[in-house]
Amino acid sequence: MLLYLVWLLPLIGAVILWAFGPQLKSWAGPIGSALVATSFAATVFLWGNATSPHGLHVPLVSWLAGWDFGLQLDRLSLIWTLIITGVGFLIHAYSIGYMDGDRAFARFFAYMNFFVFAMLTLVLSDNVVGLLVGWGLVGLASYFLIGFWFYKPTAVSAARKAFVMNVVGDVAIMFSIFLIVSKIGVTRYDLIFGQLSHAFTSHELFLIALGLFIGCAAKSAQIPLHSWLPDAMEGPTPVSALIHAATMVTAGVYLIARFAPLWSESPDAQELTGVIGALTAIAGAILGCVQWDIKRILAYSTMSQIGYMIMGVGVGAYDAGVFHFLTHAFFKAQLFLGAGIVIHALANEQDVRRMGGLRKTLPFAFVAMLTGVLAISGIPPFSGFFSKDAVVYGALETGHPWLYAIGVITAGITAYYMFRLLFVTFFGAYRGEVDPSDLGIRHPELAGTAAIGASSGHHPEEEPHHHAPSWLMSGPVAILIVPTIFIGFLDLGANSYWKQFFAGFFPRANEYPPIALGASGPLISETLSTAIVFAVVVIGFAVAFVRYYAGPALRDAVARLRTETIRMPGVLANAYYFDAAYEALLVRPAYVLGRWFYRVVDPHVIDAGVREVPISAQWLGHLFRSFQTGLVRAYALTIAFGVVCFVAYYAFAFTGGAR
Amino acid sequence: MSVAPENYVALSAVLFFIGVVGVIARRNPLIMLMSIELLFNASNLALVTYARAWVDNVGHIFAFLVITVAAAEAAIALAIVVVTFRSRHFVDVDEVSALKG
Amino acid sequence: MIAFWVLSLLMIASAVFVVTARQPVHSVVGLLVNFIALAAMYLTLQAEFLAVMQIVVYSGAILILFVFVIALLSSGTKPFAVGPDRAPRILIPAVVTAVLTLAGITVTALHTPVTVIRTTATNGTTGDANAFGSVANFGAALFTTYLLPFEITAFILMVAVIGVVLIAGDEGPAGFSRRKPKRNIQREPILK
Repeated sequence: MLLYLVWLLPLIGAVILWAFGPQLKSWAGPIGSALVATSFAATVFLWGNATSPHGLHVPLVSWLAGWDFGLQLDRLSLIWTLIITGVGFLIHAYSIGYMDGDRAFARFFAYMNFFVFAMLTLVLSDNVVGLLVGWGLVGLASYFLIGFWFYKPTAVSAARKAFVMNVVGDVAIMFSIFLIVSKIGVTRYDLIFGQLSHAFTSHELFLIALGLFIGCAAKSAQIPLHSWLPDAMEGPTPVSALIHAATMVTAGVYLIARFAPLWSESPDAQELTGVIGALTAIAGAILGCVQWDIKRILAYSTMSQIGYMIMGVGVGAYDAGVFHFLTHAFFKAQLFLGAGIVIHALANEQDVRRMGGLRKTLPFAFVAMLTGVLAISGIPPFSGFFSKDAVVYGALETGHPWLYAIGVITAGITAYYMFRLLFVTFFGAYRGEVDPSDLGIRHPELAGTAAIGASSGHHPEEEPHHHAPSWLMSGPVAILIVPTIFIGFLDLGANSYWKQFFAGFFPRANEYPPIALGASGPLISETLSTAIVFAVVVIGFAVAFVRYYAGPALRDAVARLRTETIRMPGVLANAYYFDAAYEALLVRPAYVLGRWFYRVVDPHVIDAGVREVPISAQWLGHLFRSFQTGLVRAYALTIAFGVVCFVAYYAFAFTGGAR
Repeated sequence: MSVAPENYVALSAVLFFIGVVGVIARRNPLIMLMSIELLFNASNLALVTYARAWVDNVGHIFAFLVITVAAAEAAIALAIVVVTFRSRHFVDVDEVSALKG
Repeated sequence: MIAFWVLSLLMIASAVFVVTARQPVHSVVGLLVNFIALAAMYLTLQAEFLAVMQIVVYSGAILILFVFVIALLSSGTKPFAVGPDRAPRILIPAVVTAVLTLAGITVTALHTPVTVIRTTATNGTTGDANAFGSVANFGAALFTTYLLPFEITAFILMVAVIGVVLIAGDEGPAGFSRRKPKRNIQREPILK
């Protein structure tokens, strides 16, 4: 019963705020936040039930045989629900401050509540069709929220791009569902997993996993369906924090973790997932090094970190991947909210080249970002250190040494670009009054400077006011500092709380003999691996330190930034040309086809058909009219001819056709 | 009966044929009407033939009714002809083509 | 036997004459010959009453009516004026249709089984009272079994009389006519 409340309260909130938004005005924020907080409290209340051996299962509706819908709160969905409602509540509260003054204040909270409901549908459903429903609804919420400022054409096209790419994933998941249902006819997880080993061939298992993985790639911004995520930063910063960092993009990770029995049965799927995850991690990290928009840096870092998570759950280190989700949710939300404080204070300036020296004027934001950067870089004892180590070591343990290497290198790159962000933004002199062309700002696609037209409902030409943010914005950030720093300790040690939490939940990771196992276990011990990762991270920090802090870096900041901008290689500037490829291969042909229909088919086929109907009716009428001569004799002849027909009929009928 | 009924019926058919041609091929309305009378009589002949063959009064009665109705019809048709062609120059059925559409 | 063939020849010839005569009066005469021959034919079929009826009603009344109308419509001594022929080639299809009808009727008639023909022995000779076809026999049938059609026929005749008066009647007292004055409405052709 309480589970219903958890699930439905945000929906009720969304409906109320949608319907009565204009009347509620600024009450919308507190109402939306309160509902999400209540869901969170209810979830905490259900902790005991959820962690029982079979979790909490509430059947809802029985539709067809084997197609029952219900809610399920077990350990996996419990973690996700706590994050969704908990971090979600913090971000709702933050938004009350951030979106203050926006003319669509209530609509924002309606959409945010709707998103929370959709995400809860995704993680709480006990069957794969419910998951797909939640999947689609979450995509819809993302579309609403990215395009929230719908008068900005860039926002609208970004929202559209995100939605269309997500649809590709939706269709792939649908095909997987078709495969499952055509074979065993049931959609509930426990029923599916019970029959995995004997109802499907390994080829079919791989195909199902492939379809599901394509869906994950779309939703979680993995290569090649990743290019919607940087553009999604057009939405307000709280949106980026909630759905494009902490929750929606992790839906793919949830799906793979949920289908862990399936993945463990298909080593090909595990290979594919692990490889794509690792590739995304390193590609995203490289691109993060060359961004100038503060939100885009964080977007690419999200893409990279989710690559880690996908790699983790892909190779079979499920609890490691989920743990990285947990830590990432906190520190990424922290980073985005901190960035939001900066953006809000600088009147929507998002280009880091025009920032600088904010350590003195926005000390609270500095502390927030600092903790976030330390966590994401994997500096001990911050949370990211534990989770990143667990993930890469998990790749090594399950026999993927190359993926391990990629993960370690990526950790170094991550440290580099995150500290680059920190140094450029918060140290040195403030560059807000410097002429933009002196800084080399000529490429809107990278800089994303918000000075081009109003980017929010805020007063467009506000002066930068470097004052401290309101308590609504700094409160959640302050609260988030704690888990950002400390939650890593959940996985401390070989018998950590985390490992015990998920003990027996996931299938064993090493079902198949891994390559890197020597006769007595993995090639490197865990301690040695930790040391290697730490070393690489320190190297990354050192490079950033040298380039952006030490020596003349801060003094000559303007000149150095300009040089770096001008010398950017085209491949990186255009994000490996993925978007250009999509444009050429998919968008242009569709446009040409549409234009052909408009020019040729529409006027000559469809309109011609419509035109011809009355014309042929007219022709028929003319034909009949020619019979009406007005001559009595002709009419008489016609009647006589009718008589002939009658006679002929009777001749045949009564003489037995003997004519 | 010395002559088989088929002969009478064949004769009736021939008369009917002549009447049909007369109705269609002549333009004078009076001659058309007379051709119609020919048609009536042809069918009367057939009726009476079969009445004789099957010794049933029905044929006679029916033929009698036909004569009566033909008389009524001829009266009315002639009245219409008179009215229509009273004020026209030509007594020609082709001129009455107001139904031309 | 001979009577049949002679009479049939006469009937056909007079019918053709009716259809092809130039003058309507000639057609009337031809029709008269046709009717009388038909009446004789009825006699050979032992339909005495009907034969007399044929002469009295048909030749005696209807043909007179035709003669009167011809007289009414011909303007004095001038022959009937006839307008231009608007369907000049209608003869051939007419003949074809009629031939088909003829063929159909003939074939049907020839192939229809006819039940046993009773001879005159069972019916009595012509002229006997109460024989088949005599006045008494006919009248008995008319006024008993077929009384309803008889009454309806009377009704039809009354309708015809009233109709004729209405259609072709002259103006009432003081020039009153039930006909509405002709309105000179210019009518646009519907389709150009």
